[in-house]
Amino acid sequence: MIEVRNLTKRYRDLVAIEDVTFNVGKGEILGFLGRNGAGKTTTMRILTGFLPASSGSAKVAGFDVFEQPLEVKRRVGYLPEQPPLYLDMTVYAYLKFVAAIKGVPRSKVKSEMERVANLTAVGAVMDRVIANLSKGYRQRVGLAQALLNDPEVLILDEPTVGLDPIQVREFRDLIRSLAGKHTVVLSTHILSEITATCQRVLIIRQGKVVACDDLQALAKKYQDQTREMSLEEIFIKLAEN
Amino acid sequence: MRNALAIAKKELSIYFTTPTAYAVFCGMTFIAGMMFLAALGYFQKMSLQFLSFQQPQLLEHLNLTDMVIYPLLRNVGVIFLFMTPFLAMRLIADEKRSRTFELLMTAPIRPFEIMLGKYLAALGLMAVAVALLALFPLIVTIFGTSGTMMNSGQGSPVEWSTVLSGLLGLFLVGGAMMAVGMFVSSLTESVVVAALVTFVILLVLWILNWQAGRLEGAARDVLDYISMPTHLDAFAKGAPALKDLVYFLSFMILGPFFTERAIEAHRWA
Repeated sequence: MIEVRNLTKRYRDLVAIEDVTFNVGKGEILGFLGRNGAGKTTTMRILTGFLPASSGSAKVAGFDVFEQPLEVKRRVGYLPEQPPLYLDMTVYAYLKFVAAIKGVPRSKVKSEMERVANLTAVGAVMDRVIANLSKGYRQRVGLAQALLNDPEVLILDEPTVGLDPIQVREFRDLIRSLAGKHTVVLSTHILSEITATCQRVLIIRQGKVVACDDLQALAKKYQDQTREMSLEEIFIKLAEN
Repeated sequence: MRNALAIAKKELSIYFTTPTAYAVFCGMTFIAGMMFLAALGYFQKMSLQFLSFQQPQLLEHLNLTDMVIYPLLRNVGVIFLFMTPFLAMRLIADEKRSRTFELLMTAPIRPFEIMLGKYLAALGLMAVAVALLALFPLIVTIFGTSGTMMNSGQGSPVEWSTVLSGLLGLFLVGGAMMAVGMFVSSLTESVVVAALVTFVILLVLWILNWQAGRLEGAARDVLDYISMPTHLDAFAKGAPALKDLVYFLSFMILGPFFTERAIEAHRWA
């Protein structure tokens, strides 16, 4: 579903990501790991067509991100690191606006809004102005926005920041329920989340891929004599500079 | 088109659910009201003076359109000069600052539609401004009498064809100013910088013809043509030429065009 080939992004002298290559199959949930500044957000921004790559290519559902941006954007739901919310709008008005620009058919806007509001449990705050919402609610409104129009691919940049433990659990259940139909790329610093939701992990360090494998395979690969290493130990070993 | 309209609707709802539009329009009508009163006072004084000369034929030359509405509409251009940078500054700069630009750029819409939605909202604001200003000639029509009316006892106290031309001129001035403001706003993340730079550009366009008086020949004509008041004046007088329309339309086409390019440029860098 997602094919990334030799993706490189330079900001003048700074190399954000270098030669990143990976695939995500349909219905897979990929955990995207790396320290702060490793290039996770940059990679995700390129995948969503927000940033161009310096070289290399990225394809989503067979469409090149740069050459056919509209086809890609129609199929991708994206939750950036900072949820893109209009603070002066109510949740209802905001979701209605996003539904319109995402091309949800007019007759289905209401039901689609209800669907995502139920999935993310924001129904109770529909008529409140976003500026007055707590961080957790804002995060969930951001997630609701990404789920609108039921995109085939979801790209979520640290989606559980600011959620309370119960919401985190609900979020995991939500992500797991998407597996199979939806392809999800999920970045986070909370490793237990990855083990709970993802089949595969991609670890990058200073813009380079250091591991891209199934969780079990990774654990096998890095086992020492007595036991398999936990994801945390693997991550620390791989991601530390 | 649906995307552009959705964006325009969102923009207008933000202007009108926050105090922005109300504050700006209150200020505008207050200042325009002061200008209106000053012009009316002058008209009253002149009428009394002419009456005391006992020369009714002179009174016929006094009319509300030329002495009250024309200077009012001309001066409102100056209010627009101060007002439009504040209205236009947030159009695109604010999207970037609050990271909602990422939402627009990753939604299945074209940069052209983003720009069009924004500019339609800007024109909507200007239409509201002009509608509010139309109240002044309306007040005069309801309560005023003009010199010619005194003799014949009929007709309107203001020439509405002239007034409408003036109001159209103001709408075009506003549209041109918002076009400049929107383009500047698309180049920066800071609304303050956007407002300041827009104001400077508009001010230069406004006072350029002050220099024209010192010059002669072609240079004078060029300066006169580039400055905005020349063309607003033509509309306010009720006799706009094609070149006046072309002047404003070139802003209203080039501004959005460059804005669209600036938004598209984000996809490339």
